[in-house]
Amino acid sequence: MSIEFKKVNYIYGENTPFSYIALKDVSLKIPQGSFTALIGHTGSGKSTLIQHINALLLPSNGEVDIDEFVIRAGEKPEVLKPLRKKAGLVFQFPEYQLFEETIEKDIIFGPMNFGMSEEDAKERAHKVLNLVGLDETYLDRSPFELSGGQKRRVAIAGILSMEPDILVLDEPTAGLDPQGAKEMLELFKKFQESGKTVIMVSHDMNHVLKYCDHVVVMNHGEVERYCDVDELFSERDYLESMSIDLPVITDFIQELNMGGFHINPSIKDIDELVNAIGGEYNG
Amino acid sequence: MDSMIIGRYLPLNSFIHKRDPRLKIGLLLLFLIAVFFDAGFIGYGILAAYVILCLLLSKISFKDVMKAMKPMIVMMLFLALFNLLFLNTGSVVCTLGPVKIYSGALKQTAYILIRLILIISMTTLLTACTKPLDLTLGLEKLFGPLKKVGFPTHEIAMMISIALRFIPTLLEETQRIMKAQASRGVDFQEGTFKEKVSAIVSLIIPLFISAFMRADDLANAMESRNYNPEATRTRYHQVKWNLGDTLSLVVSLVVISSVIALSFIL
Repeated sequence: MSIEFKKVNYIYGENTPFSYIALKDVSLKIPQGSFTALIGHTGSGKSTLIQHINALLLPSNGEVDIDEFVIRAGEKPEVLKPLRKKAGLVFQFPEYQLFEETIEKDIIFGPMNFGMSEEDAKERAHKVLNLVGLDETYLDRSPFELSGGQKRRVAIAGILSMEPDILVLDEPTAGLDPQGAKEMLELFKKFQESGKTVIMVSHDMNHVLKYCDHVVVMNHGEVERYCDVDELFSERDYLESMSIDLPVITDFIQELNMGGFHINPSIKDIDELVNAIGGEYNG
Repeated sequence: MDSMIIGRYLPLNSFIHKRDPRLKIGLLLLFLIAVFFDAGFIGYGILAAYVILCLLLSKISFKDVMKAMKPMIVMMLFLALFNLLFLNTGSVVCTLGPVKIYSGALKQTAYILIRLILIISMTTLLTACTKPLDLTLGLEKLFGPLKKVGFPTHEIAMMISIALRFIPTLLEETQRIMKAQASRGVDFQEGTFKEKVSAIVSLIIPLFISAFMRADDLANAMESRNYNPEATRTRYHQVKWNLGDTLSLVVSLVVISSVIALSFIL
Protein backbone atom coordinates (compact mmCIF):
# COMPACT_ATOMS: atom_id res chain seq x y z
CA MET A 1 0.00 0.00 0.00
CA SER A 2 2.01 2.93 -1.22
CA ILE A 3 2.70 5.23 -4.11
CA GLU A 4 5.69 4.31 -6.16
CA PHE A 5 7.27 6.07 -9.13
CA LYS A 6 9.72 3.94 -11.10
CA LYS A 7 12.00 5.89 -13.43
CA VAL A 8 9.21 8.11 -14.65
CA ASN A 9 9.76 10.59 -17.46
CA TYR A 10 7.11 12.94 -18.67
CA ILE A 11 7.39 15.00 -21.83
CA TYR A 12 4.81 17.63 -22.73
CA GLY A 13 3.95 17.87 -26.41
CA GLU A 14 6.16 14.97 -27.44
CA ASN A 15 7.24 15.16 -31.10
CA THR A 16 6.20 18.78 -31.56
CA PRO A 17 8.29 21.95 -31.69
CA PHE A 18 6.92 22.71 -28.19
CA SER A 19 8.19 19.50 -26.61
CA TYR A 20 9.34 19.97 -23.04
CA ILE A 21 10.68 17.48 -20.53
CA ALA A 22 8.80 18.04 -17.28
CA LEU A 23 9.91 14.97 -15.33
CA LYS A 24 13.30 13.30 -15.61
CA ASP A 25 13.87 9.83 -14.23
CA VAL A 26 11.72 10.29 -11.17
CA SER A 27 11.87 7.40 -8.70
CA LEU A 28 10.03 7.76 -5.42
CA LYS A 29 8.27 5.61 -2.88
CA ILE A 30 5.76 7.35 -0.66
CA PRO A 31 4.56 5.12 2.18
CA GLN A 32 0.96 4.86 3.25
CA GLY A 33 -0.05 7.13 6.10
CA SER A 34 2.65 9.72 5.54
CA PHE A 35 2.24 13.46 5.12
CA THR A 36 4.65 14.34 2.35
CA ALA A 37 5.50 17.85 1.26
CA LEU A 38 6.47 18.54 -2.33
CA ILE A 39 8.61 21.62 -2.69
CA GLY A 40 10.54 23.29 -5.48
CA HIS A 41 10.41 26.33 -7.70
CA THR A 42 7.71 27.12 -10.22
CA GLY A 43 8.21 24.90 -13.23
CA SER A 44 10.18 22.28 -11.33
CA GLY A 45 7.62 19.59 -12.15
CA LYS A 46 5.60 19.42 -8.93
CA SER A 47 2.21 19.76 -10.58
CA THR A 48 3.18 17.33 -13.33
CA LEU A 49 4.26 14.82 -10.71
CA ILE A 50 1.05 14.93 -8.72
CA GLN A 51 -1.10 14.54 -11.81
CA HIS A 52 0.47 11.12 -12.30
CA ILE A 53 -0.96 9.97 -8.99
CA ASN A 54 -4.52 9.78 -10.31
CA ALA A 55 -3.55 9.13 -13.92
CA LEU A 56 -4.55 12.51 -15.29
CA LEU A 57 -1.16 12.36 -16.95
CA LEU A 58 0.33 9.09 -18.07
CA PRO A 59 4.10 8.63 -17.90
CA SER A 60 6.07 8.94 -21.16
CA ASN A 61 8.50 6.34 -19.79
CA GLY A 62 8.56 4.30 -16.64
CA GLU A 63 5.84 3.15 -14.32
CA VAL A 64 3.66 4.50 -11.53
CA ASP A 65 2.19 2.11 -8.95
CA ILE A 66 -0.60 3.27 -6.70
CA ASP A 67 -1.45 0.36 -4.47
CA GLU A 68 -2.81 -2.29 -6.80
CA PHE A 69 -3.05 0.07 -9.77
CA VAL A 70 -0.14 -0.11 -12.18
CA ILE A 71 0.24 2.58 -14.81
CA ARG A 72 2.91 1.85 -17.39
CA ALA A 73 4.16 4.08 -20.16
CA GLY A 74 2.48 3.39 -23.48
CA GLU A 75 -0.43 1.46 -21.98
CA LYS A 76 -3.85 2.96 -21.65
CA PRO A 77 -5.15 2.12 -18.17
CA GLU A 78 -8.41 0.20 -18.33
CA VAL A 79 -10.09 1.42 -15.20
CA LEU A 80 -9.61 5.02 -14.18
CA LYS A 81 -12.58 5.65 -11.92
CA PRO A 82 -11.52 3.46 -8.97
CA LEU A 83 -8.08 5.06 -9.06
CA ARG A 84 -9.55 8.57 -9.21
CA LYS A 85 -11.73 7.73 -6.24
CA LYS A 86 -8.78 6.34 -4.31
CA ALA A 87 -6.53 9.33 -4.99
CA GLY A 88 -8.42 12.59 -4.51
CA LEU A 89 -6.65 15.47 -6.20
CA VAL A 90 -7.26 19.06 -5.15
CA PHE A 91 -5.93 21.45 -7.75
CA GLN A 92 -4.56 24.89 -7.09
CA PHE A 93 -7.44 27.34 -6.62
CA PRO A 94 -10.02 24.54 -6.58
CA GLU A 95 -12.80 27.09 -6.12
CA TYR A 96 -12.87 27.41 -9.92
CA GLN A 97 -14.25 23.92 -10.29
CA LEU A 98 -17.55 24.69 -8.52
CA PHE A 99 -20.53 24.72 -10.86
CA GLU A 100 -23.72 23.45 -9.23
CA GLU A 101 -26.65 25.56 -8.05
CA THR A 102 -26.25 24.57 -4.43
CA ILE A 103 -23.30 23.67 -2.30
CA GLU A 104 -24.85 20.33 -1.44
CA LYS A 105 -25.20 19.38 -5.09
CA ASP A 106 -21.61 20.34 -5.73
CA ILE A 107 -20.28 18.28 -2.85
CA ILE A 108 -22.25 15.16 -3.84
CA PHE A 109 -21.19 15.50 -7.48
CA GLY A 110 -17.96 13.53 -6.95
CA PRO A 111 -19.36 10.68 -4.83
CA MET A 112 -22.29 10.24 -7.22
CA ASN A 113 -19.97 10.05 -10.20
CA PHE A 114 -18.29 7.18 -8.40
CA GLY A 115 -21.60 5.40 -8.10
CA MET A 116 -22.80 6.31 -4.63
CA SER A 117 -26.52 6.70 -3.99
CA GLU A 118 -27.87 10.21 -3.58
CA GLU A 119 -28.93 9.66 0.02
CA ASP A 120 -25.57 8.34 1.16
CA ALA A 121 -23.84 11.13 -0.69
CA LYS A 122 -26.02 13.76 0.98
CA GLU A 123 -25.31 12.30 4.36
CA ARG A 124 -21.64 12.50 3.64
CA ALA A 125 -21.99 16.06 2.37
CA HIS A 126 -23.29 17.09 5.81
CA LYS A 127 -20.33 15.42 7.46
CA VAL A 128 -17.59 16.90 5.30
CA LEU A 129 -19.10 20.36 5.32
CA ASN A 130 -18.74 20.33 9.10
CA LEU A 131 -15.21 19.02 8.74
CA VAL A 132 -14.18 21.98 6.59
CA GLY A 133 -15.72 24.35 9.09
CA LEU A 134 -19.01 25.37 7.49
CA ASP A 135 -22.38 24.60 9.04
CA GLU A 136 -25.46 23.00 7.50
CA THR A 137 -27.15 26.28 6.65
CA TYR A 138 -24.73 26.48 3.74
CA LEU A 139 -26.03 23.34 2.05
CA ASP A 140 -28.80 25.08 0.13
CA ARG A 141 -26.88 28.20 -0.75
CA SER A 142 -25.26 28.86 -4.10
CA PRO A 143 -21.50 28.34 -4.07
CA PHE A 144 -21.10 31.55 -6.07
CA GLU A 145 -22.26 33.83 -3.29
CA LEU A 146 -19.48 32.72 -0.93
CA SER A 147 -16.18 34.43 -0.25
CA GLY A 148 -13.03 33.06 -1.86
CA GLY A 149 -11.95 31.23 1.28
CA GLN A 150 -15.36 29.64 1.77
CA LYS A 151 -15.46 28.52 -1.86
CA ARG A 152 -12.11 26.84 -1.31
CA ARG A 153 -13.54 24.97 1.66
CA VAL A 154 -16.53 23.80 -0.35
CA ALA A 155 -14.28 22.63 -3.17
CA ILE A 156 -12.09 20.68 -0.74
CA ALA A 157 -15.22 19.23 0.85
CA GLY A 158 -16.18 18.04 -2.63
CA ILE A 159 -12.99 15.98 -2.77
CA LEU A 160 -13.11 14.78 0.85
CA SER A 161 -16.66 13.52 0.28
CA MET A 162 -15.21 10.98 -2.16
CA GLU A 163 -13.43 9.45 0.85
CA PRO A 164 -10.11 9.04 -0.92
CA ASP A 165 -7.29 6.97 0.60
CA ILE A 166 -4.76 9.40 -0.79
CA LEU A 167 -5.27 13.14 -0.70
CA VAL A 168 -3.14 15.17 -3.08
CA LEU A 169 -3.16 18.93 -2.62
CA ASP A 170 -1.62 21.56 -4.89
CA GLU A 171 -0.91 24.60 -2.74
CA PRO A 172 -4.14 24.31 -0.80
CA THR A 173 -3.49 27.38 1.32
CA ALA A 174 -2.45 29.84 -1.42
CA GLY A 175 -4.40 33.04 -0.97
CA LEU A 176 -5.99 32.07 2.35
CA ASP A 177 -5.61 34.19 5.46
CA PRO A 178 -3.28 32.70 8.14
CA GLN A 179 -6.16 31.54 10.33
CA GLY A 180 -7.97 29.90 7.42
CA ALA A 181 -4.74 28.27 6.27
CA LYS A 182 -4.13 26.86 9.73
CA GLU A 183 -7.61 25.41 9.92
CA MET A 184 -7.24 23.76 6.54
CA LEU A 185 -3.86 22.28 7.40
CA GLU A 186 -5.14 20.95 10.69
CA LEU A 187 -7.97 19.31 8.79
CA PHE A 188 -5.48 17.61 6.46
CA LYS A 189 -3.42 16.52 9.46
CA LYS A 190 -6.48 14.95 11.05
CA PHE A 191 -7.22 13.21 7.79
CA GLN A 192 -3.69 11.79 7.73
CA GLU A 193 -3.91 10.68 11.35
CA SER A 194 -6.89 8.53 10.41
CA GLY A 195 -4.46 6.43 8.39
CA LYS A 196 -4.67 8.17 5.02
CA THR A 197 -1.81 9.42 2.88
CA VAL A 198 -1.46 13.14 2.22
CA ILE A 199 0.78 14.74 -0.38
CA MET A 200 0.92 18.50 -0.46
CA VAL A 201 2.66 20.97 -2.72
CA SER A 202 3.71 23.93 -0.60
CA HIS A 203 5.85 27.02 -0.69
CA ASP A 204 5.53 27.74 3.00
CA MET A 205 8.31 26.00 4.92
CA ASN A 206 6.64 26.78 8.24
CA HIS A 207 3.71 24.64 7.15
CA VAL A 208 6.09 21.94 5.93
CA LEU A 209 7.86 21.85 9.29
CA LYS A 210 4.72 21.80 11.35
CA TYR A 211 2.54 19.35 9.44
CA CYS A 212 4.65 17.15 7.17
CA ASP A 213 6.91 14.23 7.97
CA HIS A 214 8.59 13.65 4.61
CA VAL A 215 9.67 16.11 2.01
CA VAL A 216 10.47 15.85 -1.70
CA VAL A 217 12.55 18.60 -3.28
CA MET A 218 12.08 18.96 -7.03
CA ASN A 219 14.40 20.88 -9.29
CA HIS A 220 14.21 21.05 -13.10
CA GLY A 221 12.02 17.97 -13.28
CA GLU A 222 14.23 15.85 -11.05
CA VAL A 223 13.80 14.70 -7.48
CA GLU A 224 16.81 16.20 -5.72
CA ARG A 225 16.06 15.19 -2.17
CA TYR A 226 13.60 12.84 -0.58
CA CYS A 227 14.06 12.70 3.17
CA ASP A 228 12.64 13.51 6.58
CA VAL A 229 11.62 17.08 7.15
CA ASP A 230 14.15 17.46 9.99
CA GLU A 231 16.93 16.17 7.81
CA LEU A 232 16.20 18.65 5.03
CA PHE A 233 16.03 21.64 7.33
CA SER A 234 19.39 20.74 8.87
CA GLU A 235 21.00 21.35 5.46
CA ARG A 236 21.20 25.09 5.70
CA ASP A 237 23.66 25.56 2.85
CA TYR A 238 21.74 23.39 0.43
CA LEU A 239 18.51 25.23 1.14
CA GLU A 240 20.28 28.53 0.68
CA SER A 241 21.64 27.38 -2.68
CA MET A 242 18.08 26.52 -3.69
CA SER A 243 16.88 29.84 -2.24
CA ILE A 244 14.40 28.07 0.00
CA ASP A 245 13.80 29.87 3.29
CA LEU A 246 14.15 27.95 6.52
CA PRO A 247 11.09 27.81 8.76
CA VAL A 248 11.17 30.70 11.21
CA ILE A 249 11.51 28.41 14.24
CA THR A 250 14.27 26.25 12.77
CA ASP A 251 16.16 29.30 11.60
CA PHE A 252 15.94 30.79 15.08
CA ILE A 253 17.13 27.59 16.77
CA GLN A 254 20.02 27.22 14.38
CA GLU A 255 21.13 30.77 14.99
CA LEU A 256 20.89 30.27 18.75
CA ASN A 257 22.91 27.08 18.46
CA MET A 258 25.56 28.83 16.39
CA GLY A 259 25.77 31.30 19.25
CA GLY A 260 26.47 28.52 21.74
CA PHE A 261 23.05 27.18 22.71
CA HIS A 262 22.28 23.46 22.56
CA ILE A 263 18.66 23.28 21.56
CA ASN A 264 17.15 20.30 19.79
CA PRO A 265 16.89 21.52 16.18
CA SER A 266 13.86 19.36 15.43
CA ILE A 267 11.54 21.36 17.69
CA LYS A 268 8.50 22.36 15.65
CA ASP A 269 6.40 24.27 18.05
CA ILE A 270 6.78 27.66 19.68
CA ASP A 271 5.74 26.41 23.13
CA GLU A 272 8.26 23.60 23.05
CA LEU A 273 10.94 26.04 21.98
CA VAL A 274 10.16 28.41 24.80
CA ASN A 275 10.35 25.49 27.22
CA ALA A 276 13.67 24.38 25.78
CA ILE A 277 15.12 27.86 26.17
CA GLY A 278 13.79 27.83 29.73
CA GLY A 279 11.58 30.87 29.53
CA GLU A 280 7.93 31.59 29.88
CA TYR A 281 5.58 32.50 27.10
CA ASN A 282 3.05 35.19 27.66
CA GLY A 283 1.11 34.88 24.46
CA MET B 1 -2.16 19.77 -26.71
CA ASP B 2 -1.00 17.44 -29.37
CA SER B 3 -3.46 18.34 -32.07
CA MET B 4 -2.80 20.90 -34.72
CA ILE B 5 -5.63 23.38 -34.66
CA ILE B 6 -6.61 25.82 -37.36
CA GLY B 7 -5.21 29.15 -36.32
CA ARG B 8 -2.33 27.90 -34.24
CA TYR B 9 1.01 29.62 -34.64
CA LEU B 10 4.05 27.41 -35.21
CA PRO B 11 7.24 29.13 -34.13
CA LEU B 12 9.64 28.29 -36.96
CA ASN B 13 12.04 30.55 -38.70
CA SER B 14 11.29 30.46 -42.40
CA PHE B 15 11.05 32.74 -45.40
CA ILE B 16 7.28 32.90 -44.99
CA HIS B 17 7.50 33.58 -41.27
CA LYS B 18 9.68 36.59 -41.97
CA ARG B 19 7.34 38.26 -44.46
CA ASP B 20 5.50 41.43 -43.61
CA PRO B 21 2.09 40.59 -42.10
CA ARG B 22 0.41 43.14 -44.39
CA LEU B 23 1.79 41.31 -47.40
CA LYS B 24 0.60 37.95 -46.13
CA ILE B 25 -2.91 39.17 -45.30
CA GLY B 26 -3.24 41.04 -48.58
CA LEU B 27 -2.03 38.09 -50.62
CA LEU B 28 -4.35 35.72 -48.80
CA LEU B 29 -7.28 37.95 -49.70
CA LEU B 30 -6.22 38.04 -53.37
CA PHE B 31 -5.65 34.30 -53.31
CA LEU B 32 -9.15 33.72 -51.94
CA ILE B 33 -10.59 35.82 -54.75
CA ALA B 34 -8.56 33.93 -57.36
CA VAL B 35 -9.77 30.60 -55.98
CA PHE B 36 -13.32 31.52 -56.91
CA PHE B 37 -12.50 32.36 -60.53
CA ASP B 38 -13.23 29.42 -62.74
CA ALA B 39 -9.96 28.88 -64.55
CA GLY B 40 -10.50 25.18 -65.03
CA PHE B 41 -8.27 22.48 -63.71
CA ILE B 42 -5.22 24.23 -65.16
CA GLY B 43 -5.99 27.26 -63.03
CA TYR B 44 -6.36 25.15 -59.92
CA GLY B 45 -3.17 23.33 -60.84
CA ILE B 46 -1.33 26.66 -60.88
CA LEU B 47 -2.84 27.69 -57.53
CA ALA B 48 -2.05 24.31 -55.98
CA ALA B 49 1.55 24.63 -57.15
CA TYR B 50 1.64 28.08 -55.57
CA VAL B 51 0.33 26.67 -52.24
CA ILE B 52 2.89 23.87 -52.34
CA LEU B 53 5.68 26.36 -53.01
CA CYS B 54 4.54 28.46 -50.02
CA LEU B 55 4.35 25.35 -47.86
CA LEU B 56 7.86 24.31 -48.80
CA LEU B 57 9.17 27.80 -48.09
CA SER B 58 7.36 27.87 -44.72
CA LYS B 59 9.03 24.66 -43.42
CA ILE B 60 5.62 23.54 -42.19
CA SER B 61 5.05 19.88 -42.88
CA PHE B 62 2.23 18.60 -45.08
CA LYS B 63 1.26 16.44 -42.14
CA ASP B 64 0.45 19.48 -40.00
CA VAL B 65 -1.70 20.99 -42.74
CA MET B 66 -3.49 17.66 -43.08
CA LYS B 67 -4.19 17.69 -39.36
CA ALA B 68 -5.68 21.17 -39.65
CA MET B 69 -7.87 19.88 -42.46
CA LYS B 70 -9.20 16.95 -40.42
CA PRO B 71 -12.05 18.75 -38.61
CA MET B 72 -13.32 20.00 -41.98
CA ILE B 73 -13.54 16.59 -43.58
CA VAL B 74 -17.11 15.95 -42.45
CA MET B 75 -18.24 19.25 -43.89
CA MET B 76 -16.41 18.54 -47.14
CA LEU B 77 -18.05 15.15 -47.50
CA PHE B 78 -21.43 16.66 -46.74
CA LEU B 79 -20.99 19.32 -49.42
CA ALA B 80 -19.65 16.80 -51.90
CA LEU B 81 -22.58 14.47 -51.35
CA PHE B 82 -25.19 17.17 -51.78
CA ASN B 83 -23.60 18.48 -54.92
CA LEU B 84 -23.31 15.02 -56.43
CA LEU B 85 -26.92 14.17 -55.72
CA PHE B 86 -28.74 17.37 -56.47
CA LEU B 87 -26.92 19.05 -59.35
CA ASN B 88 -28.24 18.03 -62.72
CA THR B 89 -26.34 19.87 -65.39
CA GLY B 90 -24.46 18.17 -68.23
CA SER B 91 -25.00 14.58 -69.22
CA VAL B 92 -25.79 11.58 -67.06
CA VAL B 93 -22.59 9.76 -66.18
CA CYS B 94 -24.01 6.86 -64.25
CA THR B 95 -27.23 5.76 -62.61
CA LEU B 96 -27.39 4.22 -59.15
CA GLY B 97 -30.96 3.06 -58.73
CA PRO B 98 -33.13 6.16 -58.57
CA VAL B 99 -30.10 8.49 -58.40
CA LYS B 100 -28.57 9.93 -61.52
CA ILE B 101 -25.15 11.49 -61.39
CA TYR B 102 -24.45 14.17 -63.94
CA SER B 103 -21.12 15.21 -65.39
CA GLY B 104 -21.75 18.82 -64.32
CA ALA B 105 -22.22 17.65 -60.75
CA LEU B 106 -18.95 15.73 -60.84
CA LYS B 107 -17.08 18.78 -62.05
CA GLN B 108 -18.76 21.07 -59.58
CA THR B 109 -18.03 18.72 -56.66
CA ALA B 110 -14.39 18.46 -57.65
CA TYR B 111 -14.23 22.26 -57.81
CA ILE B 112 -15.74 22.66 -54.36
CA LEU B 113 -13.38 20.16 -52.78
CA ILE B 114 -10.35 21.69 -54.47
CA ARG B 115 -11.42 25.18 -53.44
CA LEU B 116 -11.92 24.15 -49.82
CA ILE B 117 -8.59 22.36 -49.65
CA LEU B 118 -6.78 25.35 -51.18
CA ILE B 119 -8.51 27.82 -48.88
CA ILE B 120 -7.88 25.82 -45.72
CA SER B 121 -4.22 25.18 -46.53
CA MET B 122 -3.57 28.82 -47.31
CA THR B 123 -5.32 30.18 -44.22
CA THR B 124 -3.59 27.60 -42.04
CA LEU B 125 -0.34 28.73 -43.58
CA LEU B 126 -1.06 32.36 -42.74
CA THR B 127 -1.88 31.72 -39.09
CA ALA B 128 0.85 29.12 -38.62
CA CYS B 129 3.50 31.50 -39.96
CA THR B 130 2.34 34.80 -38.47
CA LYS B 131 2.29 35.63 -34.79
CA PRO B 132 -1.24 36.58 -33.69
CA LEU B 133 -0.05 40.02 -32.64
CA ASP B 134 1.63 40.60 -36.00
CA LEU B 135 -1.61 39.60 -37.66
CA THR B 136 -3.60 42.24 -35.84
CA LEU B 137 -0.87 44.79 -36.39
CA GLY B 138 -1.00 43.95 -40.09
CA LEU B 139 -4.78 44.26 -40.14
CA GLU B 140 -4.66 47.57 -38.36
CA LYS B 141 -2.13 48.93 -40.86
CA LEU B 142 -4.03 47.58 -43.83
CA PHE B 143 -7.28 49.16 -42.68
CA GLY B 144 -5.47 52.30 -41.57
CA PRO B 145 -6.74 54.44 -44.46
CA LEU B 146 -10.33 53.65 -43.46
CA LYS B 147 -9.78 55.54 -40.22
CA LYS B 148 -10.32 58.75 -42.17
CA VAL B 149 -13.91 57.79 -42.89
CA GLY B 150 -14.61 56.99 -39.25
CA PHE B 151 -13.94 53.26 -39.31
CA PRO B 152 -12.78 52.20 -35.83
CA THR B 153 -9.62 50.43 -37.02
CA HIS B 154 -7.81 50.58 -33.73
CA GLU B 155 -10.72 49.35 -31.65
CA ILE B 156 -11.31 46.43 -33.96
CA ALA B 157 -7.63 45.52 -34.02
CA MET B 158 -7.57 45.73 -30.22
CA MET B 159 -10.63 43.51 -29.95
CA ILE B 160 -9.11 40.94 -32.28
CA SER B 161 -5.81 40.94 -30.47
CA ILE B 162 -7.49 40.53 -27.09
CA ALA B 163 -9.59 37.68 -28.45
CA LEU B 164 -6.51 36.01 -29.93
CA ARG B 165 -4.52 36.62 -26.78
CA PHE B 166 -7.08 34.77 -24.68
CA ILE B 167 -7.46 31.71 -26.88
CA PRO B 168 -4.50 29.88 -25.33
CA THR B 169 -5.47 31.09 -21.85
CA LEU B 170 -8.97 29.74 -22.22
CA LEU B 171 -7.69 26.50 -23.69
CA GLU B 172 -5.41 26.11 -20.71
CA GLU B 173 -8.28 26.92 -18.38
CA THR B 174 -10.46 24.36 -20.15
CA GLN B 175 -7.84 21.69 -19.65
CA ARG B 176 -7.40 22.62 -16.02
CA ILE B 177 -11.11 22.42 -15.31
CA MET B 178 -11.43 19.19 -17.27
CA LYS B 179 -8.69 17.69 -15.15
CA ALA B 180 -10.26 18.97 -11.94
CA GLN B 181 -13.63 17.48 -12.90
CA ALA B 182 -12.01 14.26 -14.11
CA SER B 183 -10.53 13.98 -10.62
CA ARG B 184 -14.11 14.12 -9.35
CA GLY B 185 -15.05 11.17 -11.50
CA VAL B 186 -16.27 12.89 -14.66
CA ASP B 187 -15.62 10.90 -17.79
CA PHE B 188 -15.35 13.22 -20.77
CA GLN B 189 -14.86 10.45 -23.30
CA GLU B 190 -17.47 7.85 -22.53
CA GLY B 191 -20.84 7.61 -20.87
CA THR B 192 -24.51 7.86 -21.63
CA PHE B 193 -26.07 10.96 -23.15
CA LYS B 194 -27.15 12.18 -19.72
CA GLU B 195 -23.68 11.72 -18.28
CA LYS B 196 -22.19 13.56 -21.23
CA VAL B 197 -24.50 16.51 -20.71
CA SER B 198 -23.58 16.66 -17.05
CA ALA B 199 -19.88 16.41 -17.96
CA ILE B 200 -20.19 19.34 -20.35
CA VAL B 201 -22.14 21.43 -17.84
CA SER B 202 -19.44 20.82 -15.24
CA LEU B 203 -16.94 22.23 -17.73
CA ILE B 204 -18.87 25.07 -19.34
CA ILE B 205 -20.11 26.81 -16.19
CA PRO B 206 -16.74 27.20 -14.47
CA LEU B 207 -15.25 28.20 -17.81
CA PHE B 208 -17.79 30.97 -18.37
CA ILE B 209 -17.41 32.22 -14.83
CA SER B 210 -13.67 32.48 -15.11
CA ALA B 211 -13.87 34.05 -18.58
CA PHE B 212 -16.19 36.77 -17.29
CA MET B 213 -13.97 37.33 -14.30
CA ARG B 214 -10.95 37.67 -16.56
CA ALA B 215 -12.80 40.10 -18.81
CA ASP B 216 -13.71 42.18 -15.79
CA ASP B 217 -10.13 42.15 -14.48
CA LEU B 218 -8.77 43.09 -17.87
CA ALA B 219 -11.22 45.97 -18.25
CA ASN B 220 -10.24 47.26 -14.82
CA ALA B 221 -6.55 46.90 -15.58
CA MET B 222 -6.96 48.82 -18.84
CA GLU B 223 -9.00 51.55 -17.21
CA SER B 224 -6.57 51.99 -14.37
CA ARG B 225 -3.84 52.49 -16.96
CA ASN B 226 -5.99 55.16 -18.56
CA TYR B 227 -6.55 53.29 -21.79
CA ASN B 228 -8.10 55.51 -24.38
CA PRO B 229 -8.82 54.09 -27.83
CA GLU B 230 -8.78 57.52 -29.41
CA ALA B 231 -5.30 58.39 -28.25
CA THR B 232 -2.55 58.30 -30.86
CA ARG B 233 -0.10 55.61 -29.97
CA THR B 234 3.32 54.56 -31.06
CA ARG B 235 4.41 50.98 -31.47
CA TYR B 236 7.39 49.23 -30.02
CA HIS B 237 7.04 46.63 -32.69
CA GLN B 238 7.25 48.08 -36.20
CA VAL B 239 6.49 46.28 -39.41
CA LYS B 240 9.14 46.73 -42.06
CA TRP B 241 8.86 46.11 -45.74
CA ASN B 242 11.97 44.68 -47.36
CA LEU B 243 13.23 43.28 -50.62
CA GLY B 244 11.96 39.78 -49.85
CA ASP B 245 8.48 41.20 -49.46
CA THR B 246 8.65 43.03 -52.78
CA LEU B 247 9.86 39.88 -54.55
CA SER B 248 7.13 37.76 -52.98
CA LEU B 249 4.55 40.35 -53.90
CA VAL B 250 5.66 40.39 -57.55
CA VAL B 251 5.76 36.60 -57.88
CA SER B 252 2.43 36.16 -56.14
CA LEU B 253 0.74 38.86 -58.19
CA VAL B 254 1.96 37.25 -61.39
CA VAL B 255 0.59 33.85 -60.32
CA ILE B 256 -2.73 35.14 -59.09
CA SER B 257 -3.38 37.51 -61.97
CA SER B 258 -2.44 34.85 -64.51
CA VAL B 259 -5.07 32.55 -62.99
CA ILE B 260 -7.67 35.31 -63.12
CA ALA B 261 -6.69 36.17 -66.71
CA LEU B 262 -6.92 32.49 -67.61
CA SER B 263 -10.47 32.36 -66.35
CA PHE B 264 -11.48 35.09 -68.81
CA ILE B 265 -9.70 33.45 -71.74
CA LEU B 266 -11.27 30.04 -71.12
